[in-house]
Amino acid sequence: MRATRLAAVAAGTLLLAPACGSSGPGSVADRKSLVIGVKADQPGLGRRGPDGVYTGFDVDVAVYVAGRLGVPRSRLRFRTTNSSVREAALAAGDVDLIFATYSITARRKKAVTFAGPYYVAHQDTLVRPGAAIRDVRDLKGKRICEVTGSNSWRRVVEEREIAATPVTAPTYGACMDDLAAGRLDAVSTDDLILAGFAAGRGGKIINAPFTDEKYGVGLRKGDLEGCEAVNRALTRMYQDGTAGRLLDKWFGDSGLKLTTSVPQFEGCT
Amino acid sequence: MTTTRRRPVSRALPPVPPAEPETRAVTFARGRWLRTIPGQIRAYAVVALLAVAALLGVLTMAVGNARDSVQTIGHDAGPQVVATSALYFSLSDMDAQVANILLIGREHRLGIGYDESLRLYERRRGEAVAAAVQAAQLAGRDTDLRTTVQEVLQGLGRYERLVGGAMLLDRQADHAPGELPKQVIDAYRQATDLMRLELLPKAYNITLDSGAAVRQAYETKRSAVLSGRTWVAVTGAIALLVLIAGQVYLTRTFRRLLNPALVLATVVTLTLVLVGAGLLSALAGHIRTAKQDGFDSVLALSRARAISHSAFADESRYLLDPGRADTYEQTYLDKSLAVIYPDMGARPVNLESFYAAVNGGIAGYRPGDPDPFLGFFGDEARASARGGASVNFAEVLRAYRVVLDYDRRMRDLAAKGDRAGAVDLRMGRTSTVIRDFGTYDASLSALTAVHQRAFDTEIADADGGLRGWTALPPLAGALIAVLVVAGVRPRLAEFR
Repeated sequence: MRATRLAAVAAGTLLLAPACGSSGPGSVADRKSLVIGVKADQPGLGRRGPDGVYTGFDVDVAVYVAGRLGVPRSRLRFRTTNSSVREAALAAGDVDLIFATYSITARRKKAVTFAGPYYVAHQDTLVRPGAAIRDVRDLKGKRICEVTGSNSWRRVVEEREIAATPVTAPTYGACMDDLAAGRLDAVSTDDLILAGFAAGRGGKIINAPFTDEKYGVGLRKGDLEGCEAVNRALTRMYQDGTAGRLLDKWFGDSGLKLTTSVPQFEGCT
Repeated sequence: MTTTRRRPVSRALPPVPPAEPETRAVTFARGRWLRTIPGQIRAYAVVALLAVAALLGVLTMAVGNARDSVQTIGHDAGPQVVATSALYFSLSDMDAQVANILLIGREHRLGIGYDESLRLYERRRGEAVAAAVQAAQLAGRDTDLRTTVQEVLQGLGRYERLVGGAMLLDRQADHAPGELPKQVIDAYRQATDLMRLELLPKAYNITLDSGAAVRQAYETKRSAVLSGRTWVAVTGAIALLVLIAGQVYLTRTFRRLLNPALVLATVVTLTLVLVGAGLLSALAGHIRTAKQDGFDSVLALSRARAISHSAFADESRYLLDPGRADTYEQTYLDKSLAVIYPDMGARPVNLESFYAAVNGGIAGYRPGDPDPFLGFFGDEARASARGGASVNFAEVLRAYRVVLDYDRRMRDLAAKGDRAGAVDLRMGRTSTVIRDFGTYDASLSALTAVHQRAFDTEIADADGGLRGWTALPPLAGALIAVLVVAGVRPRLAEFR
C-alpha cells in the first residue's frame, strides 16, 4: 500500500531529524584530555624548564582544576601561550584553558569566557632593601623599569600621572639585574610576578598595592558550562586549603601579603 | 498491512474457520490471520491505537518538561537566586554605614546622621541573615555552596566584633569629621578588609553559583521542550498517516466513501498535534523571555545596584583613610567600570578619562545602539531596548552622570588639600549628593521593576498556557481511541 510506505519513509526521515541537531564544540567540562596554555618565562607562575617541564603557581592551579574536571595530570598537555596570542589560541582550539597571568578586562570578555579569577594580583613595587620608597607616589623622579610590551609602567606614569622616569629593558629578568646593579630605583608590576622574579635575589616588595589584576581562566567564548565547572573547582581549591598551600609554596618567602580567601568571581558570560 | 498481492474484494468471502484451540498460538505466529480482512482490521486498530498512545506519551513528557522549567525559573530557584543577591547588597551596605559613622565622628547630624546610619546597619544585618538562610535552602545538598554560606555567617560574627571595637574607639576619640585618629583607622581597616576581601566575594559567588544552577536547568529543560515539540510533530505525523491509511484501506476494501468516525479521529488528532506543538513553542518562548529579559536582567541590575552602593561607600573610605586613598580611588574606578565601561580610546584608564568618556558616551547614546558601552549597563542597553524599558534606562544613565559629577568635584577638593570641603560635599552639607544618589538608586529600582514585571507576565502566561494540560491529552487520547474503535467495529461486524 503506497500510503503506508510513504508514511514509513516520512516517519523515518522525521525520526532522524532530532538526532542531527545540537552539535558544535563540546565543553571543557566533559573532556577526556586537555591542552592548557601557560606562560613559559615567568618564574613562580609559569616557567618552562630546560627539560621541557612547566612549573609554577599557574601550572599547579591548572593541574588542580583539571583534576576536579576529571582529567588527571597524565592526560594534560601544557603549551606556551604568550600574551599576544591568547584570544586566537582559544578561538582556534589550540588550547582548551588558559592559566597565564591573564587579567580579566571588559574588552577581553567580548572574545573570551573567563572563569575565576583564581587570584587577584595587585600592581606593587619592588625596590632595593633599605630604599625610602613606601608607596607609588614616592616613585616621583625615580627610575622605573619599562619592559617592552608591558603596560605596567604606564599605570604609574600615565594613569597615576606620577613623574617617574621609565628606563627600558627587554624582560623583567633584566629589570631585576638593573635594579641590583643600581641602574634602576624600582620595578613596578603585578605583585606575583615581582615575587617570582625576586625570589632569591634580595629585593623588597613595598606592599603598597594600587591596582587589582584579576587573573582569570580563559575558555572558548560561550563555554558557560565549562566556566561554571571551573568556578566550582576554584571554590573548592580555596575551601580545602590547596590555594593557601600553593600560594605559600610559590610566594611564601617573598614577604608579600597574600590573600588566601576565594576571590570574587566575574560570572560566566 | 501488505494487502496488494491478494486483495479481498468480495463481501461473500467465507469467514475463516475457527482454529483449533491448541494450535491458536502457532496460527497467530504464522501470521495467516493477517491475510484475512478481520485480522487486518484488528491489526490496523492496534497500530492506530499504538500510534495515538505514542503521541500522547511524547506530548505528556514535553508538557511535563515545560511545567518543570516554569516551576524552576518562575517559582522556585529563580526567585530564590534573586533573593540571595540581597546578601551581597546588605553586607556591602553594612560596611558603608560603618564608614559613614566613622567619617562624621562627633558631628552626629552630618550626612544621613549617626542614628539613621546605625538603624540602617541593623536593618541590613537582618536582611543579610535572611538572605543567607535563603541561600542555605537553595544550596540543598551542594556541600561546597553550603560551606560558603556558613563561612559568610561565621565571618559576619567576626566582622561585627571588629566593627564594635572600631566604633568604641571612635566614640572615645570624639573627633571632627574626616579627622580620624590612627587607632580608629587601623581598627576599621581590619573590619573592612574582612568584609571586602572575604565576605563580599563569597556572597557574590553564592549568587553566581546558584544562578549557574538555574541556567543549567533552563538550558536542559528548554532544549527538552523543543525536542519534545519535534517528537510531537513526528509521532503526530505517524498517527495521522496511520489514520489516513486506514481510511484509504477501508474505502477500497469496502467500497465506501468515508468512515465518519475515522475522519473525526483524524481531525481530533490533527488538532491535538497542532495545539500541542503550538503550546510547546509558546512555552519555550515564554521561558526564554522570562529568563533573558526578566531573570538575567533583574540579577544583573541588582549587582549593578550593589556595586554602585559599594563604590559610593568607597568615597567615604577614601576620605576617612588618607593612607589608603589611592587604593580606594582605584576600587572606585574598578567598580564604576564594572557598572559602565565606556570606550576610552587610547587614553589611560583612570578616573579623569572615565568621567570624560562616560559623559561623551552617555550623551551620544541612542536606544538601539548595538554596542554603546561595556559592563552591566552595556548588557542592559541591549536588554532594555528589547524589553521596552529604554525610557527607564535613559533615566538611570542621566542620574548616574550626576552621581559621577559629584565624585569628580569631591576628588578635586580633596586633591587641592581641602579635605573638610570634600567631606562637607560628600556628606551633603554643601550639595545634594545624597539625594541625587537616592534618585539614581530609585531609577535603578524602577528599571529593575520593569524587568520584574516582564518576568512575572511571562511566567503568568506560561502558567495560564499550562492550565488544563494535565487532563487534556488523556481525554483527547481516549476520544481518539473511542473513535478509532467506533470506526472499525461496524466493519468487523460484517464478518460475524
